[in-house]
Amino acid sequence: MLRYTLHRLLIGAGMLLALSVLIFILLRLTPGDPIDAYIDPNVAISQEEMAALRTRLGLDQPLPVQYFAWLSQAVQGNLGYSIQRFDQTVAGLIAQRMGPTLLLMAAGLTIAIVVGITAGVIGAIRRNTLPDLSLSVLALVGISSPAFLTALLGLYVFSVRLHWTPSGGMLTPATPFSLLDLLHHLILPAIVLSVGYTSLIMRYTRASMLEVLNQDYVRTARAKGVKEFWVIVKHTLRNALLPVVTLIGSTIGLAVGGAIFIETVFNWPGMGLLLVDAVGTRDYPVIMGATLVIGAAVIVVNILTDLTYAVVDPRIKVA
Amino acid sequence: MRLGMLASALAVTAALATGSTMLALPAVAQDGATITGGFDVGPGGLQGNFNPLAATAGFTWLVTYFEPLVIWNAELTRIEGALAESFEVSDDQLTYTFKLAEAKWHDGEAFTSADVAFTIRLAQNDKSGSVLAARLGSIASVETPDERTAVIKLSKPAANMLDTLTKLMMLPEHALSKIPVEELAKNAWWSATPIGTGPFKFSRYATDQYVEVVANPDYRGGAPEAARLINRYFKDPAAAIAALRAGEIQFTYVDSNDVSTFADAAAFEVIEGPSLVVNYVGFNQEVPLWKDLRVRQAFMYAINRDAIIQSLYGGAAEAANCVYTVDQFVPEGIEAFAYDPEKAKALLDEAGWAELNGDKPITILTYYTSPLVTNVLAAMQAMLAQVGINIVPRAVDTPTYNSIVYGETYGDFPLIFAGLQNGPDPSNINIGLNESQIPPAGANIMRVQMPEVTAALDAALGETDAAARDVAFQEVCKATNANLPWATMWVANRYGVASTKLENFVWTPAPAGGPFQAHPEKWSVAQ
Repeated sequence: MLRYTLHRLLIGAGMLLALSVLIFILLRLTPGDPIDAYIDPNVAISQEEMAALRTRLGLDQPLPVQYFAWLSQAVQGNLGYSIQRFDQTVAGLIAQRMGPTLLLMAAGLTIAIVVGITAGVIGAIRRNTLPDLSLSVLALVGISSPAFLTALLGLYVFSVRLHWTPSGGMLTPATPFSLLDLLHHLILPAIVLSVGYTSLIMRYTRASMLEVLNQDYVRTARAKGVKEFWVIVKHTLRNALLPVVTLIGSTIGLAVGGAIFIETVFNWPGMGLLLVDAVGTRDYPVIMGATLVIGAAVIVVNILTDLTYAVVDPRIKVA
Repeated sequence: MRLGMLASALAVTAALATGSTMLALPAVAQDGATITGGFDVGPGGLQGNFNPLAATAGFTWLVTYFEPLVIWNAELTRIEGALAESFEVSDDQLTYTFKLAEAKWHDGEAFTSADVAFTIRLAQNDKSGSVLAARLGSIASVETPDERTAVIKLSKPAANMLDTLTKLMMLPEHALSKIPVEELAKNAWWSATPIGTGPFKFSRYATDQYVEVVANPDYRGGAPEAARLINRYFKDPAAAIAALRAGEIQFTYVDSNDVSTFADAAAFEVIEGPSLVVNYVGFNQEVPLWKDLRVRQAFMYAINRDAIIQSLYGGAAEAANCVYTVDQFVPEGIEAFAYDPEKAKALLDEAGWAELNGDKPITILTYYTSPLVTNVLAAMQAMLAQVGINIVPRAVDTPTYNSIVYGETYGDFPLIFAGLQNGPDPSNINIGLNESQIPPAGANIMRVQMPEVTAALDAALGETDAAARDVAFQEVCKATNANLPWATMWVANRYGVASTKLENFVWTPAPAGGPFQAHPEKWSVAQ
């Protein structure tokens, strides 16, 4: 187990290195650099001034020199300074954003897991009835709605029209911190983020439940006179959840992508917003740092999922 | 039972949601002394920048706590004193004398002429991250005969010196002189503990959420009416509009497409003003297609500017027949280029367009990605197609645009649709049209080399007599009307929307956000 873990971690480190090279090259292939992003075409600024800035930031150095300069600092934990927010370190920016993103993802995934599994179970045990059909239709709509559309609709209905939730942000400005204020800001983005995953988890749970419900041991349990509730919870759901657990693990990576959309629409000050801003302004150090941290997180989660899976299902060996 | 569990889970969620709504509502409509706005939304804003030396925009907000020596009035018609109580420019335009107001920094120290000298030296040094260095290059020395007088001596006249000084926020020597110049831009001072002399004091920055400033009771113009101002950050104007409609903010810039949705709303006031940015079709002079004046004239006659202004801008733009639209700089008798597709065709025939290019597609590059400009370019495409010019719009983001137009692959941008600031100081246009401003020196990205245009600009910039200066800029107008370095299109209006609860609120859509005299200390909000 330990050897397996170490092995996976080593592969993970290699993947991160490859990711950093890839992102670095992709970034430099993208037209425009941070200085180009700084010039407002309507308000012209002398190019000489910009060239001086470029030299000072080292952007005129050959690419391999720039990459290794970055890498040698990065392995020591120094991700450098943001180019567009001169006075902020990349590590500091990322550290500030990590919490909000984790909160949003955790809230979204919790809603998705609770609602998705519950709805999936209801669908399976009430197969082909009105509740099942309505849930299936809802799930289909949920899966097919792009996150940005759901987000804009949610914003329009619940913030602009009904005034139930704030239109964005994480806390009400100029008021002391309160947990309820945070939850009030969190609820809409978290629900929007969860829509797609809820539907997915529901579909998986339902299908998996139906399969297990037909198993001999379920019939045996019923024949032995086990109460229906325990048949469902203990004998069916527990076995049906295995593929769902895998699904949840593998969607965490996807959830990061979803969070980027949601954060942009709701102005949620997380990694996604940071990354979108940084790409728009070609803030190389921030893009490199943020991608690396997100990449590392996804790799770690995947390793954890594999390890958990081995624990949950004794048939799988990780030697 | 299962359903019961689900129901209780839903009930808890609903209770949480409503409970928090009830709790947060008073927070939104809290004490009337807070004014919240999207002050950095739109083209004049620069969210996340706290360093005025590095500011290319965002001055509307910066002047709530910093102040320049001089500032544009709210109508953008003349420059008046801010931290300078009065100022004088010598006849030879080489000596600027500023009498300073009796002001205090937010930490209680007195503002003196030493701070002026310090700030100018800092801004002249590009190691500080200053984007003003070249523009302040003609300052030879700053003398401080006494604490309340600063004298700026120039090595040569600079027509736009006062305009540049409006963008130079005074900085406290006592707080910043200890920080090495090279490390100044990276110092946390700017976004943590900056001090200025303005009506509000910096309070806090909630990263990417908002900036809060609180009233400076010792402000020399009187204690501010509002207790605090909050500048909320938004990814785009649409998000800010949602917050405005939800009652969370009282002001934001809005795109012209969205203005009509506020027209009948009693709770909002639409603020309209010229963008002072002239939009144009630029002809890359390194591309042989545009050498012939008749081809450039054909663009002017083929594009029905009035129709575009009426149908797409809703009438909120003024057609530009030269680089200026302000009466002061537009002489009588210049060609008006009324829509005349037949004349355009004839001109193209004379110039031999069929052999020159014919109907081969020509890319027109733009950094404008709004739906409005997409429609404008589609209209232009159709109009030009009528006379036999086949343009293909290509919209890219700003960094991509800049990397292309400052590069030398001229085939990538034979045509551009762009804008350049043409006011309030008319000399702003120089950087885009003077031959001496061809990159890397300046922003003459169309590589315009037209002796008549350059001569007119040089003459206007060197003119030291104020009355003669207007005439000199009229000559610039004439030269650009006759030579058409660009096919000038229009100056469009820009908009802000404010809640009618705001009182004494002043805002104008100035390029780069001004700065202009908005007197934030007088702003208040009705309960």
